[in-house]
Amino acid sequence: MKITLKVNGVLHEVDVEPRKLLVHVLRELGYKSVRVGCDTATCGACTVLIDGRPVKTCNVLAVQADGAEIYTADYSDEVMEKLRGAFKRHHAAQCGFCTSGMLTTAYYLVRRGVKSEEEVVEGLSGVLCRCTGYQNIVDAVKEVAGL
Amino acid sequence: MKYVGRPIPRVEDELILRGKAAYVDDVELPGMLYAGFVRSPYAHARVLKVDFSDALKMPGVVAAFGPGDGGPFNFAPGGKVRYQGEAVAMVVARDRYLLYDALEKVAVDYEPLPAVLDIYEALRPDAPLVDESLGSNVVHDKVYEGGDPDRALKEADVVVEGRFVIQRIIPSAMEPRGVVATYDGDVLTIWSSTQVPFDVRKEVAKALGLPLSRVRAIQPFVGGAFGSKLLVYPEEIWVAAAAYRLKAPVKWVATRSEDFKAATHGRALTLEYRVGASRDGRILAVTGTVYADAGAYYWGEGLADTAAQMLPGPYDIRHGRVRAVAVLTNKTPLSAYRGAGRPEATLFIERIMDHVADVLGMDRVEIRRRNLIRQLPYRNVFGITYDTGDYPTAFERGLERLGYRDLKRWADEEAKRGRIIGVGFSVYVEITTFGYETAVLRAERDGSFTLYTALTPHGQGLATALAQVLADELEVPMERIKVFWGDTAYVGDGIGTMGSRSITAGGSAAILAARRLKEELAKAAEKLLGCRPVYSGGIFQCGGNSVTIEEVVKAVYRGKAEAQLTVEAIYRADATFPFGVHVAAVELDPETGFVRPLLYRSYDDVGVVVNPLLAAGQAIGGALQGIAQALYEEAVYDESGNLLTPNLAFYYVPTAAEAPRYEVYFADEPHPSKHPTGTKGIGEAATIASTPAVVMAVEDAIRRLKPGVRIDKTPITPEDVWRLLR
Repeated sequence: MKITLKVNGVLHEVDVEPRKLLVHVLRELGYKSVRVGCDTATCGACTVLIDGRPVKTCNVLAVQADGAEIYTADYSDEVMEKLRGAFKRHHAAQCGFCTSGMLTTAYYLVRRGVKSEEEVVEGLSGVLCRCTGYQNIVDAVKEVAGL
Repeated sequence: MKYVGRPIPRVEDELILRGKAAYVDDVELPGMLYAGFVRSPYAHARVLKVDFSDALKMPGVVAAFGPGDGGPFNFAPGGKVRYQGEAVAMVVARDRYLLYDALEKVAVDYEPLPAVLDIYEALRPDAPLVDESLGSNVVHDKVYEGGDPDRALKEADVVVEGRFVIQRIIPSAMEPRGVVATYDGDVLTIWSSTQVPFDVRKEVAKALGLPLSRVRAIQPFVGGAFGSKLLVYPEEIWVAAAAYRLKAPVKWVATRSEDFKAATHGRALTLEYRVGASRDGRILAVTGTVYADAGAYYWGEGLADTAAQMLPGPYDIRHGRVRAVAVLTNKTPLSAYRGAGRPEATLFIERIMDHVADVLGMDRVEIRRRNLIRQLPYRNVFGITYDTGDYPTAFERGLERLGYRDLKRWADEEAKRGRIIGVGFSVYVEITTFGYETAVLRAERDGSFTLYTALTPHGQGLATALAQVLADELEVPMERIKVFWGDTAYVGDGIGTMGSRSITAGGSAAILAARRLKEELAKAAEKLLGCRPVYSGGIFQCGGNSVTIEEVVKAVYRGKAEAQLTVEAIYRADATFPFGVHVAAVELDPETGFVRPLLYRSYDDVGVVVNPLLAAGQAIGGALQGIAQALYEEAVYDESGNLLTPNLAFYYVPTAAEAPRYEVYFADEPHPSKHPTGTKGIGEAATIASTPAVVMAVEDAIRRLKPGVRIDKTPITPEDVWRLLR
């Protein structure tokens, strides 16, 4: 099936098998920051923004995303750069495998205007991290969200 | 301009935060083929026949390998599979989706055999044998002994007996294991999500009969490991062998469900103990047996032994006898998980201290105070010599700094408002660092330096920490140092990142390399200056003249002076011993039995702290893993050997919502190791200390409602708490 995906502002027209997962299509398009960490939509390493909302792309068929506007952790704008700076200062990444999912989710939370630490924690709880114990990630997001 | 001791953000982050860090699945080669494995649904079965005929007819299938293929393809050794998830065959296809279609078409005839899952059942004389050639399921049995434990027990005022069971943990690094291999007819190159590229190279070369010089192993970015990637796994050999046989690039990346069975598990130790104490609370003798539930193959050598040898912990116990027994069962093989024997030793001895304190009616702080080792170095009863430290002082300061008594008072106050809060602490000494490590340092002609380390960082930030250590030794700005790792083309041999050894072993090797390089450059500078120079801040000076490092290196490259510009240093690093005190507070909901970790505080004497930002990161992340061991995680098998927690949806790796608030402190007066870096290691300390602190906190909370309750296992699930309360 022919579908179109707009990824980080770039339009892609791709021919995909109906059974193909969006995460695999994005990775084949070169968006390697979208990572596969599980097969049950639990870990969140494949989280991207689809039409403004964080979605685990291992749980979506590429054909379901036809026409979608997608942002990955490769994206760059003021908010994403602020998040990158805060993640670095707070030592919010260790092995880095979950970091893309954390960044895209954090981007959504900041854009949405999170109001409290509890909201940050709840918002990030869909992405698993095995290295950091989460605190530095939470602190980095709070800083960018002005909390 | 000292860099060591400063909280410098990581140089690695630029790649990671821009999605540019390349993990093994990101390695793309033209004509890539994809490998997958047929894995046994049975825990124990004879493999009668593997039939590829239908699979080979599937579109895109290139090759298949099974038990009949011999050589490196040693599937189902002895004609049987010994745990659910053990590979019996391999299929290679042009596309991942076609690969999985084909894997379903491989027909395997199994003859199921009775499986043995429980260590006590495995020890019975009539138990099914996991490995018939051994004649028993006991694969390792060793006694560690010192002093006169029998007499000490006889003379003790009280003898306390018990058993503590530590669950199986699935390490769950966020990146599953994976391998890419390619052979161009000349050199075999392997990328692997591993902690041990040097071992991968050695094992692959051996399996294929290739000289080491024609095998190159590369560790790309690795998405966590925690000990689960420190063995060379069969898949690494098989994928390399397939690439070699097919002369094509082959990639295998485990799915999470696959990884849960095909990557090693951790912990799974049980201690039966008998301890003698005097009325005034001195522990006179510790005796017992540590059983390891080793799984189907004895890959996790030494886990029960480390737990046995470190069982005395930071306490002066003069008499002991502990047996370390490893028992085969039909489960995924057991191996290292963050701490590998020391978390178990610490949890065991801390529980024993509490048990004895309860029997004697003694305060839990007081009993430790009376038993702590007073003078370092100290040789423990099993012959392990703790190097440096001042345990009594660090213990008292730690408890004070962490606010232990204030937290106890706060919990009492909150109890009046109906909140049930428990507070616990733990004390530990642990053993880190072993073996040798290699550093290759090159002076570049622009005055910058390139370090090739044999360390294998996978999240620790060692490129940053090594650059700090080197910048101080070379007296140059950190920005002039670039660190490469994880490639056997750079360094001939080494061990890697594990056992909290990296900055101590690899950092010390880097310091030695820097010293040697300075000597070399000084020789060349002497030739250029005509007098014996003094080095400072990148400049050689004597007789009123000076040359910069850059000028010296250029002169050497042009043949005007002689020096080695690339030096290699190999450093042998003996063990060193961190010490610390940790405190945890939890809140208990008596209706549901649910326990929420509220806060976690650590005070560690780990010697020199190279980078407090990164060290705190290790402490915080390590603490949550230990907390999760105390409260959430467990690999559960049914009686047939089916893994009932086969993926992250069933196995509870904590999320941000479960994480407590952490505070990390390092000792006011640290006791450095004797190594050039003065470090002791921080990678595992918090994982070691956090489980016993949380267990004590949970017990403290439960005892507010039901005095006398004792916890004798991990994890403590809500159901356990609920039952203990009734």
